[in-house]
Amino acid sequence: MPAGKATKSDGDREFLSQAGVGELLRGAILKMVEARSDDPIGFLADHFCNLASVTDTGAQEQQLLNRALWHLRLAHHSQRSAFSNNVRVAYDLLNLTTPRGGGVSGSLYTHTLQCLCSEGGVPASTSAPLLRCLHCHNHEAVPYDVFRYGVLTCAVFSDYIRQAQRLYAEVCSPDAGPASRALGLAVLGTLKEALETSQGCDAIRYLEASAKISPYKLAHVMVGGQTQGPGGNMDAKEFENEAAELFIARVKVVS
Amino acid sequence: MSDGTDDIKPVACTVKPPVYLQIGDAKTDATHSGVCVVDVTLPFGKPVNIEEITFKNYYTAYVTVRLLRRSPGQDAPAKWCTVLRDLRLMDNPHTEGGSQDYYSIHRTQMQAEPDHVVSIRLILRQPSSAWLTFSLEEIRVFPHVEPDPEKEVSDWLSDLMLMDQHPDLEGLPDPQTVSSSIQQMWALTEVMQSNQTTASIGRFDVDGCYDINLLSLT
Repeated sequence: MPAGKATKSDGDREFLSQAGVGELLRGAILKMVEARSDDPIGFLADHFCNLASVTDTGAQEQQLLNRALWHLRLAHHSQRSAFSNNVRVAYDLLNLTTPRGGGVSGSLYTHTLQCLCSEGGVPASTSAPLLRCLHCHNHEAVPYDVFRYGVLTCAVFSDYIRQAQRLYAEVCSPDAGPASRALGLAVLGTLKEALETSQGCDAIRYLEASAKISPYKLAHVMVGGQTQGPGGNMDAKEFENEAAELFIARVKVVS
Repeated sequence: MSDGTDDIKPVACTVKPPVYLQIGDAKTDATHSGVCVVDVTLPFGKPVNIEEITFKNYYTAYVTVRLLRRSPGQDAPAKWCTVLRDLRLMDNPHTEGGSQDYYSIHRTQMQAEPDHVVSIRLILRQPSSAWLTFSLEEIRVFPHVEPDPEKEVSDWLSDLMLMDQHPDLEGLPDPQTVSSSIQQMWALTEVMQSNQTTASIGRFDVDGCYDINLLSLT
């Protein structure tokens, strides 16, 4: 037990600086500010848990994957710089599994994407075609750009599917029955047309696409679809798959 | 009108060597007649609608343009017609004026429509004895291109103008909310597309060959 008050506080300060506690706490606070989580105590607990992970060889890959996924969950993809930082950290973590660096192994990358999709609430059957475009084999080395693209696409896809589910609820008949097939297809048709606008510079493309999905245009399409479209109903799963197809058709296959 | 030719490429054509017409016996007593014929053949099987013929003069005083036209259709006969007679290229055939100028003959100057043209014959005349050799150089034929219909921008813009016709939305979902959802889905797809990378996957290399631990047996 150190004697005297002055020595005690000196001793404390020395102990703290030796342990690097200042850096630890600063890092934790910075991460918390970036993530702005609703549960600060839970967040800090997770953060320190991650830091404390033991790197024993058996569970190393799983540990690193968990830590990488934790980082990827911190910021929404719309928070550009925070998301990019987190992707970089996750990539560097996963890179530790390959002895010489040079890229994340294909299977680990694919596994990361699968986890992201399922955590984002996308059913496996819906995300399967997307993963087929993005996946890599075990013997392939995934560079950072491809990793970032894959991760961003899965994050965006989760949002897209959630939005499609909301859209289906809106398009359903008011008595909570399934949506009419004609209506569902007509509405998705406007999205398809807007996505196919490809001429001209960006500004013109955005203007033209937005004209195709304006409320006015949709009102006309819905009225038209009601009278002229195919008969029968469309359940939520089918609608989701049709919407997913529009997105996945535009995903660049990784090679 | 002619600003279009900056973008249009000339048709690939074969310019035959000029044939000087001689009076009298070819071998013994040939005299220069001051008339020369240059044939320009267009690619076989692909008749051209001519927009413009451009060339550089080389001491030719007058040029007459004749076109061999074949109307589209099986076995339609090909017919020669004169579309431009004695276009003056040099103010005075004896002097230098206009002798090496660039000229362009547009379809509007021609007396007949230069459509479905298979071959062009340029008849050059130089009556002056000062210039015994004369011809046209850098002959280029530009095809007539239909102007692009300018509907891309105005089509959907004019749709926006018709805002006062509100359809009857009995029993249908609110177009505002549906539109808002679709717009978000469109925006998400745009984000994905704009972040596409051109990078490609690599292979794990150990001194130029695969690392055995990373090869899978499946």
